[in-house]
Amino acid sequence: MRPFSLGFLMDVFPILLPFLSATLAVVVGTIFFGSVAGALLAWAKAGNHKVLKRVAQGYTYIIRCTPPIVLLFIVFYGLPKFCLEVFDTNINDYDKLFFVIISFTLLFAAPISEVMRSAYEAINKGQYEAAVSIGLSPWQAFFHIVLPQAVVVALPNFGNSVVSLMKDGSLAYTIGYIDLIGKGQLIVSMNYGAYAIETYLALAILYLIMTLGLEKVFLWAERRFSQHKQIA
Amino acid sequence: MEINYQFLVDTFYLVLAAVPTTLKLTIIPLLLASPFALAIALIRLDQQKGFLKILVSAYVTFVRGTPIVLQILMVYSLLPSFLNLLAKAWSLNINVFDFDPIFYAYIVFTINIIALLSEVLRSALGSLEKGQLEAAECVGLNKIQAYLHILLPQAMVVAMPNICNLTVNLIKGTSLAFLMTVKDMTAVAKISASYGYNYIEAYVDVFVGYIIICSIVQILFHYAEAHIGRYRLSK
Amino acid sequence: MLKAKNIYKKYKQTEVLKGVDISVAKGDVVVVLGPSGSGKTTLLRCMNFLEKADQGNLEFDTISLDMNKATAKEIGKIRKKTAFVFQNYNLFQNKTALENVTTGLTVGRGMDKGKAIEVGMQALQKVGMADRADYYPSQLSGGQQQRVGIARAIAVEPDVILFDEPTSALDPELVGEVLAVIKQLAKEGKTMVIVTHEMKFAADVATHVVFMADGRIVEEGPPKEIFLKPKEERTKTFLRRILPQEEYNI
Repeated sequence: MRPFSLGFLMDVFPILLPFLSATLAVVVGTIFFGSVAGALLAWAKAGNHKVLKRVAQGYTYIIRCTPPIVLLFIVFYGLPKFCLEVFDTNINDYDKLFFVIISFTLLFAAPISEVMRSAYEAINKGQYEAAVSIGLSPWQAFFHIVLPQAVVVALPNFGNSVVSLMKDGSLAYTIGYIDLIGKGQLIVSMNYGAYAIETYLALAILYLIMTLGLEKVFLWAERRFSQHKQIA
Repeated sequence: MEINYQFLVDTFYLVLAAVPTTLKLTIIPLLLASPFALAIALIRLDQQKGFLKILVSAYVTFVRGTPIVLQILMVYSLLPSFLNLLAKAWSLNINVFDFDPIFYAYIVFTINIIALLSEVLRSALGSLEKGQLEAAECVGLNKIQAYLHILLPQAMVVAMPNICNLTVNLIKGTSLAFLMTVKDMTAVAKISASYGYNYIEAYVDVFVGYIIICSIVQILFHYAEAHIGRYRLSK
Repeated sequence: MLKAKNIYKKYKQTEVLKGVDISVAKGDVVVVLGPSGSGKTTLLRCMNFLEKADQGNLEFDTISLDMNKATAKEIGKIRKKTAFVFQNYNLFQNKTALENVTTGLTVGRGMDKGKAIEVGMQALQKVGMADRADYYPSQLSGGQQQRVGIARAIAVEPDVILFDEPTSALDPELVGEVLAVIKQLAKEGKTMVIVTHEMKFAADVATHVVFMADGRIVEEGPPKEIFLKPKEERTKTFLRRILPQEEYNI
């Protein structure tokens, strides 16, 4: 077996790094659309409309049981066919990123809706009651009093979900999306499998930096936004 | 939208036939990982800093911070060659490349679960009142007895929901075993889809299959949690 | 029977025990009083090594130990001769009341299960909890839990029972039932060291009172002396604040 090549390890980083933006594009896009979808689901779950609530809960349950890769394949193969039949539009040539973001948005929305719902419900109803009793409208009470507090409660779990998303997102290469892992696989196959361990190790280091970095960012955010809870 | 219903039904049976493989990929790593995960949790809960603690924490951090896909790729590309090297060095007459790939799958998933399970156990044991251990020691139990009779049973109840989560995630994680040419549910669906390009039917089948398995697992955990948590009755 | 000398203990930068000596003879009921932070709980916990003293010497019958350097085996020997009753009971949550009492006997001392149940039920009877033997702690009130805690302590037949503020965590109405049990034990001649805030109870039950403040023993002596004729200023201030003199009935 060929010995480990530190040189290759160092050399592969600059080749991989340009594709960091592809990985981040997935994460950022999914966080944006997924949070919106998650918020809608959370609103349905916390509300009083029985049917909407059941639908949202059912959706969350199903997604929770679905392997990301299966969802990815269903969207990648199923959506074009669906769009062709129903909307008569051919989306087969759309950028792979499109399919990746849709899949992971569907995936991310479920746990995020739970994070949002439980954070919202953790806030004492008295906060809302106090707010409306001094004249704020229900919307103002929610937006100015309840929501800011709920955000703080949600932050740690939101952070966990983002880290999970980042790791799940690494599956995008299986449908041909060229992100960090995708490029890594190309490098490995270009070398006929020769420098696999160095390439994968480089990828592991990059992911470790990203996940640990994200955790630090969220810890900082938690501290920053909980200042009101600290005793002087 | 034309759906090939015959194919849908046929593939579903194929997927069902692969369920035992998926279950094996879940249960065996869980069982193998448990003692190591407990050991690591105990090491990390110990107050003193030591080289072992640092080593073990680095391992857990690495596994939690990298995608499982990457772990699979690393092990699958490295381990066979490494074992081959060992076999040659020890003059064993086995062909490493004839091993059933499921062997490598067990290894990857076990390595992964040891780290994740240790985190669950660490937080469960850490959440117990310090007084439980103190009372046990005062009444004459040594550390091992205290853990066996008092602390671990209570930690298990606390940990149950998280262990359920971990198991569900592991089941979903096994869907990547096809990368190692293991014939689990996803692999079977993929293969059967490629014959006639019936991708949607195949993946919908396997999608339903996973939902069924996860539901059963969650129900089982629900009963397990209720059973071992009997002592938590309220007045 | 039990003599601890020269105990020093520091938490981070604060000295909690500054050279404390305590001695307990068979049949004594030693009550340790003092304001919060005086070190009384720490003293008790050092005596059965729940805390490790920085310095100190423990003599128990024929055993003599350096309290800082005691080995796990030596600590185990001491713990077989003592029992501890905690402020927050620390009952084993996953065991019934009876099992809480028998675990120390079966697992800790290898007693036969049948015999352990006998001994256990006797102990529970003594504290008035025999009819709740199969209840889990989560189903019992605070006072009931503490009584089970005391049963757990007496079942192992210790030479000394150490009580760490046994009633401080209880609702006022439940304090009485626990104090009654402890008084009964005192009547039977059990050797005990009790840290408590309950002054009347202390006056009732003590054979020897130790008053601590700021990590030192300020004054000690028979209850009549300490409560009615305190010598030190610090003792006087403390007693004045806690209870008017007329209420002591020694």
